[in-house]
Amino acid sequence: MTQPNTLHAMPGMAAQAATDLSHMAAGFADPVQGSQQIFRAGLQAMSHPGRIVPVPVCADLPTHGHAASAQLMLALLDADCRLWLSPSLRASEVATWLRFHTGCQLVDTLALAHFAWVGGGDAMPRLADFQHGSDEDPHTSTSCVIDLAAAHSAAQDVGGWRLQGPGIADVCQLSVSGLPADFEAQWNDNQAQFPRGVDLWLALPDSLIGLPRTTRMHAADAASKGV
Amino acid sequence: MFQSFDTTNKSDGIAPPAALPTARAQWLALLARAPLALLSADWLPQGLQWRWLRAPETGLMMVQGRVGGSGERFNTGELTLTRCTLRMAHAQAGSDTATVGVGYVLGRSHAKARQVALADALLQQSEYQEQIERDLLQPIRAHLNAERVMAQQRADSTKVDFFTVARESDAGEFEEQEDMA
Repeated sequence: MTQPNTLHAMPGMAAQAATDLSHMAAGFADPVQGSQQIFRAGLQAMSHPGRIVPVPVCADLPTHGHAASAQLMLALLDADCRLWLSPSLRASEVATWLRFHTGCQLVDTLALAHFAWVGGGDAMPRLADFQHGSDEDPHTSTSCVIDLAAAHSAAQDVGGWRLQGPGIADVCQLSVSGLPADFEAQWNDNQAQFPRGVDLWLALPDSLIGLPRTTRMHAADAASKGV
Repeated sequence: MFQSFDTTNKSDGIAPPAALPTARAQWLALLARAPLALLSADWLPQGLQWRWLRAPETGLMMVQGRVGGSGERFNTGELTLTRCTLRMAHAQAGSDTATVGVGYVLGRSHAKARQVALADALLQQSEYQEQIERDLLQPIRAHLNAERVMAQQRADSTKVDFFTVARESDAGEFEEQEDMA
């Protein structure tokens, strides 16, 4: 912070900050309990890739974006984080809400972002465009949350993916909708450059699915890639 | 303790800043320095509807300073600060508009930050402005002025007027010494 009077207003947003705030949602009802519960859910999702982890609602949320992803952002971000928002989220009250409650910095360049949140309906950027970190500092890569329309993990699903890797005992079946057609290829490129690479949370309105960079992905049915 | 904010006239010798801060900045500066006793006095209207946007939280804030007119900014030190934000619905029935009040105070008093935020939200609603000005801001101004006068008096009582006795000429001293010899 270089200007003491821009404590939670961005340059360019300062003029309308006062009007925006009057319709803003309040954030966690209990900041300590709430953020710990959500952090726990996010951690569970990452340690069991492909498993659909339910996320309780314990915050007053903006109308845009899934509740699970909004709460995850609220729990994870702080003033040192740079956040990239997809166009529909960036234009909505979500940007003001996250700026106010977490103090995070919004960036327009994907490669600068520590966190990224892609709203439902927005085109997903290519995974290669995110920050992948370096071999010395792989943790500096972008962590990305993607709002999905639907996902299910039924083992008998024909389409979808078979996931393997650390955190999965044998094989995990997952099928999702709302991702680009070539997502599986993008993901395998991302996975291949381990230890570098991005980590994903796929979000449903009330749950999260972790997809860390260690997870290997194959089409369950070769005919229907990346459903 | 006393800022150029408080100085709207030149009578006390301190020039006001070139551009006066907005009315809101001025009342926030005033409220932030009010003692809790005055802030929690009976000035709050009945039947207000408000909720927290950010409940009071205490933290540290880095304060920056400069040395000299062209000095670089440097981090002077950290202050304990309590802040909160609340949303207060407008008084008119059926209106869904609201004002947002913020309270930033030094120290750890959550009650103080809440009272400041309530006053800030009310002062933005024209129907309450006059009452809050009369019941809260005036007493605070009077209190701060009295404190300033007291500090001034304490300082004045230690004032020493130095004066120098004119020295006699060196030549005269020599003459005296010669005389004595």
